[in-house]
Amino acid sequence: MEFEFRFDIVWNNISILLEGVQTTIMLSLLTMLLGTIIGLFVAIIRLRVRRLFAIPFVIYVEVFRGTPGLIQIVWIYYCLPIVTGLELSAFTSLVIAMALNVGAYLSEVFRAGIQAVDKGHVEAACALGFKPTQISRRIVVPQAAYRMIPAIGNVFVSAIKLSSLCSVLGMSELMYQGQLVIANYFRPIEVFTVVALIYLIMAYSTSLFMMFLEWKFAWVKRDKNSFWGHFKNVSRTIFSLKPQGDLTRD
Amino acid sequence: MTNDAANLAIQIENLHKSFGSLEVLKGIDLSVTKGEVICILGTSGSGKSTLLRCINRLLVPDSGMVYIHGEPVGYVKGPDGSLRPANQSMLATQRSKIGYVFQQFNLWPHKTALDNVAEALVVVKKMKRDKARKIALQRLNEVGLEEWNDEYPSTLSGGQQQRVAIARMLAMEPDVMLFDEPTSALDPERVGEVIDVMKDLATRGNTMVIATHEMNFAKETADRAVFIDDGVIVEQAPAVEFFNEPKTERLQAFLKRMLS
Repeated sequence: MEFEFRFDIVWNNISILLEGVQTTIMLSLLTMLLGTIIGLFVAIIRLRVRRLFAIPFVIYVEVFRGTPGLIQIVWIYYCLPIVTGLELSAFTSLVIAMALNVGAYLSEVFRAGIQAVDKGHVEAACALGFKPTQISRRIVVPQAAYRMIPAIGNVFVSAIKLSSLCSVLGMSELMYQGQLVIANYFRPIEVFTVVALIYLIMAYSTSLFMMFLEWKFAWVKRDKNSFWGHFKNVSRTIFSLKPQGDLTRD
Repeated sequence: MTNDAANLAIQIENLHKSFGSLEVLKGIDLSVTKGEVICILGTSGSGKSTLLRCINRLLVPDSGMVYIHGEPVGYVKGPDGSLRPANQSMLATQRSKIGYVFQQFNLWPHKTALDNVAEALVVVKKMKRDKARKIALQRLNEVGLEEWNDEYPSTLSGGQQQRVAIARMLAMEPDVMLFDEPTSALDPERVGEVIDVMKDLATRGNTMVIATHEMNFAKETADRAVFIDDGVIVEQAPAVEFFNEPKTERLQAFLKRMLS
C-alpha cells in the first residue's frame, strides 16, 4: 500500500492556519520590539557601569541564553503571577517571556557591535572637540548599527520560531492551529510541511527586510548597486565556501 | 619675561605619566613659542606619543601642567585664580583648539572625505552643513585632494587618508598642531606627499609639534629638535645644531643609528 499525500486537507483548512499566522506575527513583532528595548537597555548598562553593578545583568543574560526557551516560557507563564501577584493575560506573559529571551541575545549583539568600533575613531572625534554624547551619536552608533544588522536578523528569525513554543500553553498561534488540524484529520506530515513552509516564508521575509536595511544603511554603496545587486552579492557570500571580497567591507 | 609668556603657544611643566609600574614620562618641561615648528625625536617607546597625548589630554597625566596659549588644559581658572578640573564639555572646547593628527589616520569610515572634514565644523562649531562643506572643500584643496572629496576612506590610499586627516584638523583652525608620527603607518612611496603638506604648513607660521622618525624632514623643516629618551628630554637645540653638533652621547648614538 502506498502512502498518499493529502495536501487538499490542509488547503481546505488553510483559514485555520492563517488565523494562527496572525497571532504568530503579533507575538513575534511585539517580542522583537520589547526584546530590542530590553537588549539596548542591558547593553548600555553593561558598557557604562562598573563591573560590580553589571553582575545582575550578566546573570540575566547567561540564564536566558543558557536555559531552554520552553522552560523559560512555561516558568514565566505559571510563576510570574505567583511571584509578583500580577494577573497577566496569557498573551502578555508569553510576550514578556520571549522578549526576555530575545533581549538577552540582542544585548550581546549590541554590546559586541559597540565595542567593535575602532577606538581610534572615538579618539579622533575627542581630539576635534566632540562631546561624549556627540561621539556616541555621530561616530559610534552609525558604525555599530550598520555592522549589527545581520546579527540582529539572526535573533529576529529565531524569535519567530521561538513563538512556536507558545503552542504548549494553548496560545492559538500557527503551531497550535496546525496541531488542531492534525488532531481532526490525522495528517501530521502534510500539515507540518505546510506549517514549516509558512514559518519559512515569515523567516525569509525577515531576512530580506534585514538585507534591505543593510543595503539602505551601507555607507559605501559599491558600484552604486541596486538592492537586487546587493541581494546577489549577499547570496553569493552565503552559498560560497570561499571568502568573498564583500565580507571584508570596512 | 612677561613678553615671553605671552609669546608661548605651549608650555609643559614637569609632566609625569605612568602605565602601571612603568613610568613613561619622567618629568617633561617644554616651551613652544607661537609659530615654532618642533620635531620630537626618539626611539620607539621613548614616550613621544605619550607626551603628545598628554598635551590634549587623550591621556590624563599623573602630574604636571600643560598650558596652551596660557590656558591650562583640563582645568578652568576660578574667579580667584584657583584651578579646578574642567568637565567634559569644557575639555572638549579646549581640545577643539588643539589639532591632532594620528599615526593611524583614524578617518571615520562611514563618512566621505568631505564629510570627515566638515563633520567637526557642524558638530563642534555649529555651522550649517552647506557652509561647512564649502570650507571642507577648500581644506581638501589645500592638501591636494579636492577631486577625491566624494570618496570614502576605504577607497583612498594611506597617504591620501592622512592628508584628509590633516585637512580635517586644519578645518578647525587650531591654535597648535600636534602630529603623532604622521608618516609611520605609510608605504615608503607615500611618505613624501604627506611630508610636503606638513612642510607647507610649517612655512605658513603654524605652531607645530611633530613626533617623527623622518630625520631629513626634521632637519629641513624644524626650528628646533627635541630628543626624548627613556621619558626625559635629553637634548634640545635648533635643528641645524642638533644634527650637526649633538652634545650628549645618547643623541650621538641615536643619530648615528638613524642616519647610517
